[in-house]
Amino acid sequence: MTRFWRAHSSNLTTLLLLFPALAGFFGLFFYPMLLTLILSFRPEGQTAGWTLQNYTRFLRDPDGQWVILLTFLLALGSTALSVLLSVPLALILREKVRGHRFYRLMILVPLVIPGLIGALGLLLFFGTRGWFNLFLMQFIPFIRRPVAVNYTIHGLMFFYVWLYFPYTCVTTLSALESLDRSLEEAGEVSGANRWQVLRHIVLPLITPGILAGSVLTFMAAFGAFSVPLIAGGNYRPLAVEIYKQIAVPIPARWSAASAIAVVMGALQVVFLALYMRLVRRAGGAAAGGAGAGGVR
Amino acid sequence: MRLLRAYLRGLWDGKLLLGYTLLASLSLLILAPFLMIALRSVGKGWFGRLWLPPELTLEWYRWAVEVGNIPEVMKNTLIIGVIAVAVSTVIGIFAGWAFGRRQMPGKEVLMALILLPRMIPPITYALGVAKIFYTLDLVDTYLGVALAHVSVCAPYAILVLSATFEGLDERVLEAAGVCGANTLKRFFYVVLPLIMPGILASMIFSFTHSYNEFTLTLLTYGPHTVTLPIRTYLAVGDGYWEITSAMAVIMVLPSLAILAMIQRRAEPEKLVGGFKGV
Repeated sequence: MTRFWRAHSSNLTTLLLLFPALAGFFGLFFYPMLLTLILSFRPEGQTAGWTLQNYTRFLRDPDGQWVILLTFLLALGSTALSVLLSVPLALILREKVRGHRFYRLMILVPLVIPGLIGALGLLLFFGTRGWFNLFLMQFIPFIRRPVAVNYTIHGLMFFYVWLYFPYTCVTTLSALESLDRSLEEAGEVSGANRWQVLRHIVLPLITPGILAGSVLTFMAAFGAFSVPLIAGGNYRPLAVEIYKQIAVPIPARWSAASAIAVVMGALQVVFLALYMRLVRRAGGAAAGGAGAGGVR
Repeated sequence: MRLLRAYLRGLWDGKLLLGYTLLASLSLLILAPFLMIALRSVGKGWFGRLWLPPELTLEWYRWAVEVGNIPEVMKNTLIIGVIAVAVSTVIGIFAGWAFGRRQMPGKEVLMALILLPRMIPPITYALGVAKIFYTLDLVDTYLGVALAHVSVCAPYAILVLSATFEGLDERVLEAAGVCGANTLKRFFYVVLPLIMPGILASMIFSFTHSYNEFTLTLLTYGPHTVTLPIRTYLAVGDGYWEITSAMAVIMVLPSLAILAMIQRRAEPEKLVGGFKGV
């Protein structure tokens, strides 16, 4: 026994140190996931028997298909818009313009504020009595009626961008700031104009950073729950659809909700895997391109 | 040549002007919703095409406190937050020490596994957590809601603390030993001051997560454990925008204090790693 202890004490201590974390992981994540998976194959409201009905009903239903499409549409759209917004923003903020500390703080605001509060403020701002519509109606000719933003699909996408672009922006900014300025100077010395430097040196080098940040934006937008719950109106992405299954019907439809949850988790994992592969490939290409660019 | 240079400079200045316009309008767009919440919470009779409320009042705050039961809700939020922070910090210290300072087989795999809850939308495992808590009678208890929060807080605590412990320099400890400090002294005078900022950061981030956590709370709360986000959400459902705004202001003030703290102490990249859309 003592020999066993002497030989394995180090490993056992490590295991003991990891025990609380592992207990938490299994109790609060793994077992709940497993339970969800099992529940999704049970007939509704029963504790025995196996069925695929929960899946087929959701996946065959045109409404179910629309929910999946909508979730992807919102997540991909807001990710693309976040990238389009973040790159120019990061390029400007890198220059340490006057007040750049204030603007950097502004970018962090949507990250720290609970999504619920952000959505509430946006609903007030874009509502028929909000400042946005007041401005449009008083200063833009030909607009007499309030423009509908709240509870529309483009409005919801804008809300997502507002809430989740900081992930992309902060990562892009940090990629830009760790960039070696001498590479750009070398480009300029070699006769490239600013646009060419940007297009052929800066952008390829920061692409991995942009992609890494946009993964975070995508994940947040894909899993968004509180925002579409209060600001989505009739547009219900997957997360809200899951909640509706247990909140609206009586008795709650746990098996249907579990099936949708499994579909959502699987879609997220598959999409993330594809995305990571893309990021890795882009990273390799960027390193090669930058090497060539630097030499030239 | 001179003309060309002037032209280029003009372009450059023009670009800066464009940049300032972008920055200013973005800041406006980020701040305006909060200004509207703040004004709505103190405004009275704000109807029609008015830019500002015609009358100021604190009535809605009185309503929020009396009808919305804010003091009780605040107490629940704090108790749950403290329990969640305590549990996830303990988990984080133990696991962080193992990950940061010890050799073990399959370290990367284990780390990836423990960080998995951050990669998957909370609603997918919140369902199972709720189902388990119903059978264990943990729904609508402080411990239950706090434990649900731990599943979000703990991975981040582990990440921050293992980085902290990894950064601890062995040579500093040896130097203290050479200078005659015993184990106890070494711990209190050398190790503790070195790891304290990391532990504090982990606690602040854990608390922020718990304070803002919505999804897991929504599936495990009950009448005795209404937290601030849930209370605000319920008020949105009731449709009284003024009272909801007052609650939102009460809820957001601590977040702003935390933002100020983070801005001063930590790098924003860490924030991005730690925060997930709720």
